[in-house]
Amino acid sequence: MNNKILTMPAPGVETEVMPARGRVVKSKWTRDLLTFLMVLGPGLIVMVADNDAGAVSTYSQAGAQYGTHLLWVVLLLLPVTYFIQEMVVRLGIATGKGHAAMIYQRFGKWWGLFSLIDLELVNFLTLVTEFAAIDLALTKMGVDPRIGVPLVAAGLVLLVLSGSYRRWERTVVFLCLLDLVWFAIAFAVRPPLAQIVRGSVMPVMPAGGLTPDLIFLVIAIVGTTVAPWQLFFQQSCIADKRLRFADVKWARLDTFFGACITITVAGCMMLAGNASLAHGFKFTDPAQMAMDIGSFTNGFFRNAILLMMINAAVLGTTAISLSSAWAYGEVRGWPHSLQLPVKKAPGFYVVYLVSVAAAAGLVLIPRAPLQLIILSVQVLAGVMLPSAIIFLQLLLNDKELLGEYANKPWNNAVNWTIIIVLFALSLILAAQVAAPNLFPAS
Amino acid sequence: MATNQFVVIHPLDDLPEQKADIESLGPMPMTTSVRVSLMSLRAYLVAMMLMVLYHVLGLAGRFR
Repeated sequence: MNNKILTMPAPGVETEVMPARGRVVKSKWTRDLLTFLMVLGPGLIVMVADNDAGAVSTYSQAGAQYGTHLLWVVLLLLPVTYFIQEMVVRLGIATGKGHAAMIYQRFGKWWGLFSLIDLELVNFLTLVTEFAAIDLALTKMGVDPRIGVPLVAAGLVLLVLSGSYRRWERTVVFLCLLDLVWFAIAFAVRPPLAQIVRGSVMPVMPAGGLTPDLIFLVIAIVGTTVAPWQLFFQQSCIADKRLRFADVKWARLDTFFGACITITVAGCMMLAGNASLAHGFKFTDPAQMAMDIGSFTNGFFRNAILLMMINAAVLGTTAISLSSAWAYGEVRGWPHSLQLPVKKAPGFYVVYLVSVAAAAGLVLIPRAPLQLIILSVQVLAGVMLPSAIIFLQLLLNDKELLGEYANKPWNNAVNWTIIIVLFALSLILAAQVAAPNLFPAS
Repeated sequence: MATNQFVVIHPLDDLPEQKADIESLGPMPMTTSVRVSLMSLRAYLVAMMLMVLYHVLGLAGRFR
């Protein structure tokens, strides 16, 4: 590859616009690869960050209770999560605006405000669960959470303060790739390959039949794989990175690549849970599962799972806090970009800082009702997701806004099917909350 | 530039391109049925949030 830097003048543009800088390459293949690598980021990050602390808990619990029987549910969610986020890619690139800004401007202030309140509420509660997981993992590693949690929070704040989108993205992509350690963990504790394949492609009722526990674990898996903050995060990220119309196919590939990684890693988490089940351990939480797995493998895998729990929580925290900060900045009309230094976008960075600090602080309060917060997050996220997707669906059918990037009939057929299924799951969840004895245990 | 040479520019280094002009479009025109559906959805969400709050407060022992 020729690494010559080419600087092109930018005639007729505003003075604050930097001239375009590019790399000259000699083959189409190299051009495509380099373009993909430059576009790679928002899709990968949103997908891998979705495997946050709550996801580690849900997937490993699914494996620890039902072995490899629910692998097919995760595999089924690959197209679901891709189709939803692909709509966000088109919307973000066509408008160059974040999702909150779109709702505010196209549906009016009333709907914009409601969407913002919903997002900020669920995001904050989710952040608390991320720090609760960090607290748990640090405790199992023998680190005092009163020191460890504030240090992690400080690191998360420093991560965004460089005034460079690229620096933040490169660091976070590195953390995303660390998630591949789950492959090594799953390989070490894997069941026979035939069992994995059977669990992935053949839906079989687990022993015990259709119990309330099974229904709600399936809903939790769906809820943790497709979350409302993802819509807001990826669109704002695309707007901040200033992806161009020519980048649409690469941004789709980035999203698909991320979806494949996140689903495969989710499967690996289930296999880790399956290993603890096979050795007769009862699941309580993923940190305890790490200790159990360490007892029949070695200390490396115990520490690897605990570190991956922290990594998942860190990825979730930076993505969720940014989705809050971007959304708030868009709605208030504040400068909101990772490209800006703190003094030029103080409100944006303050929202990020407050989100991280308040969640970390709450976790450190003795006897804080963390278990109730975790329960609320799962229920609220499940309830809010379908309505968040409806706004997305309406925006993607706005031909006046999107032109050729608007949904095609087949997009709508797929997306309305997804929305109907999500609503059905949401109603089951609602029924269970309203009447906990509605589904009798078998 | 000679043939078989391609310039690859990072999005952040590239010149800004014209996007859909949302400001000039204003609010999206909505039919009555869409408006009613969205209002119903909002009412459902508010009811669900209150129900979750009630459930969580119940679990926290606030109604004993």
